[in-house]
Amino acid sequence: MAVLFLSLTSAPSVYGQAIQYERPIEAAPQQEDIGAGYVTPEVQKPRPRDYWLQVLDVVLLAAALGISVWIVVRRRSRKGLVALSIGCLAYFGFYREGCICPVGSIQNVVVSLTDPHYSIPIVVTATFFLPLVVALFFGRAFCGGVCALGAMQELVVLKPIEVPRRLDQALGLLKYVYLGLAIWIALQPAATRDFLICRFDPFVGFFRRTGFPHMLMIGGGFLLVGMFVGRPYCRYLCPYGSLLAWCSRLAKWGVTVNPSTELECGLCTGSCPYGAIERRRAVRRKCLYCARCYAACPHVGELARAKADLVTISPPG
Amino acid sequence: MSGNPTRRDVLATAARTTVVAGLAGAAAFLVRKAQGQVVWQVDAAKCVNSRLGEVGVEVCGRCVTECVVSLSAVRAVNEYSKCGRCAICPAYFNITSAVDELGLPSEKRCPRDAIQRKPIGKVDPEDPANNYFEYVIDEEKCDGCGKCVMGCKEPLGLGSIVLRVRYNRCVDCNRCAISMACPKDALMKIPVEEALKAVQIERQS
Repeated sequence: MAVLFLSLTSAPSVYGQAIQYERPIEAAPQQEDIGAGYVTPEVQKPRPRDYWLQVLDVVLLAAALGISVWIVVRRRSRKGLVALSIGCLAYFGFYREGCICPVGSIQNVVVSLTDPHYSIPIVVTATFFLPLVVALFFGRAFCGGVCALGAMQELVVLKPIEVPRRLDQALGLLKYVYLGLAIWIALQPAATRDFLICRFDPFVGFFRRTGFPHMLMIGGGFLLVGMFVGRPYCRYLCPYGSLLAWCSRLAKWGVTVNPSTELECGLCTGSCPYGAIERRRAVRRKCLYCARCYAACPHVGELARAKADLVTISPPG
Repeated sequence: MSGNPTRRDVLATAARTTVVAGLAGAAAFLVRKAQGQVVWQVDAAKCVNSRLGEVGVEVCGRCVTECVVSLSAVRAVNEYSKCGRCAICPAYFNITSAVDELGLPSEKRCPRDAIQRKPIGKVDPEDPANNYFEYVIDEEKCDGCGKCVMGCKEPLGLGSIVLRVRYNRCVDCNRCAISMACPKDALMKIPVEEALKAVQIERQS
């Protein structure tokens, strides 16, 4: 142990006499050295978020997924879906500051599956797998009602243009490239490993109200483009979206445009900003669960109820 | 819908069952492997500001500038059990500054005035070497710049002040932004129990 030896005699003095202060100490004085009833104060050690709150996040994620399926598939309600996604944006986005999310958890899962020295908590495993299992049965319920990144873009859709089919398909391949790249970089040895998806997360800077300039600019860019091209990140870049797209191909239930109950009028096709209705049928792997098609359908939802009112009022005499 | 499932339905059900089984297997593997929570923490033995023996170097302020939350999650913490409680604390005072009328250095080291200096018991002005003072760092003011940490180490101090990640602020990034910029690779992931109980935190394995 070094000897504490402090001398102020060499310090420049503007007010005359400097005090002589020499104090050789080998160890810190403890309670008994100081005496006079002195008690060493407790060092502050703020704890991380309680475990039960982390479990609560997973429970809320599961509940939101269930509600998303119920609102869209059973109720066919656009309004309910918007309310749910705003709620999830507020909680998972702005309150939890965008972390953890299934999109970024891809990397943790991949690293944990391959690196024996790396493991992830059970809550992260659940966060990653829950939306995939739901997609296997009901389609991309996560994208529409739960994902905070999706909700940001959903709320800015202003005048969506129809992306030409060929271009839409070509751009859609980008998300598989991004997924592959992110996995490859996450699989590097621990020293050089990086988490690309988190590093270029478009909206986490907004959720935290602070961030690197490049992140805020990417996010702002996506919101601007998103006014005219519906949900560009979800459709063309989201790596988790590509996993959900694969799973939702096998979905048994989900958003349907059904020939036996619907009119075949084609209003739904025009209402879908994401090009997910082809030849008047919903394409599960592209459908982002926004329920706009149901809102536009004269046979279901609010529009149908409005029509019924009109019919009862209008007969003359 | 007719009662007989189509060939397509049967195939889809088979594929779905396979994928669910695969996902369940992967999830089970990850759950078996799961350990408790691991968190970021600063290794005081590596941090250039607190590393004993490393003198004559510039204070590193990257914990202030690199953290992704607006007021850095890294803060200076005084481990009281190791504090010398000196009357003239080299972390509190800029000991090379001019001496004032009380015989104390006229400048403080902390740019945010986050350290409070309180006398312990009775102070005897004739015997400064046996007076004790408590130095308490106000966590709300501190931004983790490390100037006091650098002051509180050899040859003058005992090294009781160290930089610590504060878990009420840390958002636990996959790759801590500070760790990527740290010149000494002093940020490490350790089990949360270790991070909360240890006085001197050292890198595991």
